[in-house]
Amino acid sequence: MSTHTPQSRPWALKVSGLGRIYGDPSPASLTGTGPEHGTAVSPSTGAVVAAWDVSFEVAPGEALGIIGESGSGKSTVMRCIAGDEAATTGGIALRSVADGTVNLCDLLPSARRRLRLKDIAAVYQDPAAGLNLDVTAGGNIADPLTAVGWRSYDGIRQRAAELLERVEVPLSRMDDLVRTFSGGMRQRVQIAKALANDPPVLLLDEPTTGLDASVAAGVLDLLRGLLEETGVAAVVVSHDFGVIDMLTRRVLVMKHGRVVESGLTDQLLEDPQHPYSQQLVAAARG
Amino acid sequence: MITPAPAPASAAAVHPEEPAWLELDQLTERLNLAVDRAMGEAGLWAPMLAARAVRQAEGDPTEAAHLLRAHRAALPRLAVSVPVATSELRVVRRISSAFRNPPGGQILGRTVDYAGRLLDLLPEDEGRAHVTDEPLAPADDGHLHHDHDHDHEHSADPVAVERVPGNVLAILREMGLVAPLPERPDDPEPYDITRRPARPGAPRSAWLQTMARGDTGSLVHLWWYGCDWRPDHEIPGELRHGALPVRIAHPHTGKPVTVAEVRVSEVESFYNVPRAAAQRHLGVGYGICFGHNERKSIAMAGLDLALAHYDADSELHHDVLLTLDGLDSTGYAQHLKLPHHVEYRSVLDRAEAAGQDANPPGETA
Amino acid sequence: MNTLSPTRTGTGASRAGALAGPDPRPGIFDELSKRELRRAMLSGIAIPGYQVPYGSREMPVARGWGSGGLQATLSLVCDEDQLKVIDQGEDAGVNASNLRRLITEHTGAGEETDTRAADIIQSRHRIPEQPLTDGQILVLQVPNAEPLFRIVQEMDEQRRMHAEADYAKMWVWLYEDIVHNGLITAAAGYPVLVEGRYVMTPSPIPRWDVPKMNDSDAITILSAGREKRLFAVPPHTRVVPLTFDDRPFEVEYTPGTACRLCGSDDTYLVEEPGENGAPGTWSCSDTDFCTRRRTGDAPADVAGQPVELARAALRRATREQEETS
Repeated sequence: MSTHTPQSRPWALKVSGLGRIYGDPSPASLTGTGPEHGTAVSPSTGAVVAAWDVSFEVAPGEALGIIGESGSGKSTVMRCIAGDEAATTGGIALRSVADGTVNLCDLLPSARRRLRLKDIAAVYQDPAAGLNLDVTAGGNIADPLTAVGWRSYDGIRQRAAELLERVEVPLSRMDDLVRTFSGGMRQRVQIAKALANDPPVLLLDEPTTGLDASVAAGVLDLLRGLLEETGVAAVVVSHDFGVIDMLTRRVLVMKHGRVVESGLTDQLLEDPQHPYSQQLVAAARG
Repeated sequence: MITPAPAPASAAAVHPEEPAWLELDQLTERLNLAVDRAMGEAGLWAPMLAARAVRQAEGDPTEAAHLLRAHRAALPRLAVSVPVATSELRVVRRISSAFRNPPGGQILGRTVDYAGRLLDLLPEDEGRAHVTDEPLAPADDGHLHHDHDHDHEHSADPVAVERVPGNVLAILREMGLVAPLPERPDDPEPYDITRRPARPGAPRSAWLQTMARGDTGSLVHLWWYGCDWRPDHEIPGELRHGALPVRIAHPHTGKPVTVAEVRVSEVESFYNVPRAAAQRHLGVGYGICFGHNERKSIAMAGLDLALAHYDADSELHHDVLLTLDGLDSTGYAQHLKLPHHVEYRSVLDRAEAAGQDANPPGETA
Repeated sequence: MNTLSPTRTGTGASRAGALAGPDPRPGIFDELSKRELRRAMLSGIAIPGYQVPYGSREMPVARGWGSGGLQATLSLVCDEDQLKVIDQGEDAGVNASNLRRLITEHTGAGEETDTRAADIIQSRHRIPEQPLTDGQILVLQVPNAEPLFRIVQEMDEQRRMHAEADYAKMWVWLYEDIVHNGLITAAAGYPVLVEGRYVMTPSPIPRWDVPKMNDSDAITILSAGREKRLFAVPPHTRVVPLTFDDRPFEVEYTPGTACRLCGSDDTYLVEEPGENGAPGTWSCSDTDFCTRRRTGDAPADVAGQPVELARAALRRATREQEETS
């Protein structure tokens, strides 16, 4: 994968040498793991090398895909960037935090959580992970707004209405509990909530998995439009090349915790090099 | 609230219409389980004070425990006792449901366990069938002496009764069924729940203390409630009732000096199977409380096992640490009897205002 | 133990004293424990609104009848102090009388009902109408110390939210209240933000009393015995009820009502239902202030002037009505 210096192309998110090991974090755990060994489990220590040596940059307005099957480590990478879990090693930097000079992994958990207000937002496969289902759609959006200091009830409602309009949720549903919403609608509310404070970086973890094909297509259309018009730097994690193809320009292929191939999405789809990539592409072609 | 104690000897003379108060030794000897329960829930060993508390609380053990604890709060803490191993326990009763005949024998002691629960309509002195007082009933005898004359109830030879048998858990350790004690035990200063409020996440010493002085009924309920959904039940490897010395370091020599003796009920329970195939040892749960209160120490040992099994932020940890104290729960119930009309007016005002509010909910501004 | 012989007469306390040591009349709270309470109160004053845990001792009253307030008062009071105790605003309530007698008997402090003359005021559910002054201490009894208890149940999460001043969920709760009910329905114990940092429950005082806490000359100690924590509001601290900028905080008010005894319409009134369908009557909940209003011995304005908030709300409502009609 080509690297860009900040001078040539300003990145919004930079990940370098990211690793996450469950169990013994010593180098001994690395031996015998990875795609060439067909496993992420260390034969000597039993540790799981969920992700290792993952590096990439994402520029504003760009979307990067991470593809792999379950257990490949793609979601682990996303959770480490989001701060939902701690990386074992490596660097994560956001342009919006001290102009990218701070490794987020060095921050206290409380400081990591604060970044989720304005600097980085995530949309999860399960809406219950990103939303409170027993709160109205408007109330869910009020959460990030009040967290950064919004104190006008009418102002919050106006902003929530704007966002819901943008994700094509009828305003008549604004005061309904999210629990009463369909899966696709919940996902739209989750996207609206993630965009509430105009974060420069957006993480999407299997955003359409589990939705009916027609519903998923609608959400993907919406996301593509949003990524184009907002200028957000996005990371899209999916097992589905269809999703990656629709939303991203560049892609990393992960297997057994390692990146096996990376490149421009359309080129990789056209001419996959690694056998695993070929397999994934073949699967997507049906 | 520290009301003048009635003078038992003269009460009848002053108020001939009022029944006489029970003597303290009547309470400690004849209503001993009530006195023990008050001491256990108070977390204070003081039999004569506890008897007085039971008398002044008109037999309500929770109220008696409150009197004892409030009395204790008036006194300074002068010293902290040194740890004592319960292998020193001089038992008056000791049974093991894990072994037919454990070393040291089954010592049935004083219990109602084996008596038919028949209300005796004869004066108690003549009936006497309701309590088994069999200080030494060897297990290999297999015979419980139900129909013996129990005249020796209070004349049992103390030398024969008080014994220091081997600890069943130690036998299980030797058999390799229970994890050996660490050579250098991780023995931090125990959490002191009387000085630091115990919150979920507190260490085992905090939950053991909380249960040891918890309300008996609440504790038994919480344990039994869990028996419904926890996968397997535990076996009390050993249940003992007996006396332990209390020692403090001598202020001048620093050497431990025995200053008192307390009676405790102690239970060590374990699961009948290892919980995971990879786990070689049986989990052990521990229960102990002041006085003779077997169901409390059994429930405590069962809950201790369960607590070790669940995360510190589980509901069980929350319930054990925050809902078992009798003073807390009854205090909350008591407070509902106080006037609340200032609050009530405030609630009513909001209810009326919400009713009057003309704006239909959800109208976007 | 001959000293414990059942035939010996005397009080339980003195007999226990024989066992405990030479002091024949122990108090109801030992001196070392009082010291611990005072340290906790100092911590609370240093960090306004922060819940300081303490090893709550057992008091001779039920945990729920002011055991937390009692520990705070006993740790503060000395025999030169004048003590006022009120429940629901009344000095004569059973709970208030019991506590006052208990404390004065064991400490030598004087009993007082005049708010102005009291050094320490222990109260359940009210702040006196008389403005408190420099040097006075108000001790409030607290049944539920955690303002976030309706929002999240896990204690660890509550503590994390306080530590990080992460109160978004509290705001969402207020937002949802307005969505569902048209207004904020939080009644007594309305959540407040203390000095811009900690969200705190002011104990179940009516909303009427909340403005009195703001920039008060007196120290307020809030102590929860059963929940084993206390918090404090030092003098001249900002105490602001949580509400949206465009949804003003509202206090209890029924237009047209006045105290049937003193005629006040600017005090917190409680209703007594009429008999046989007759309309109810209203009277001051603060009995000391009511008595002094009748003799002309009370100030023109009550502390915090909550009635001004009520009148402003009325004016707003009238204006809105005019605009819509």
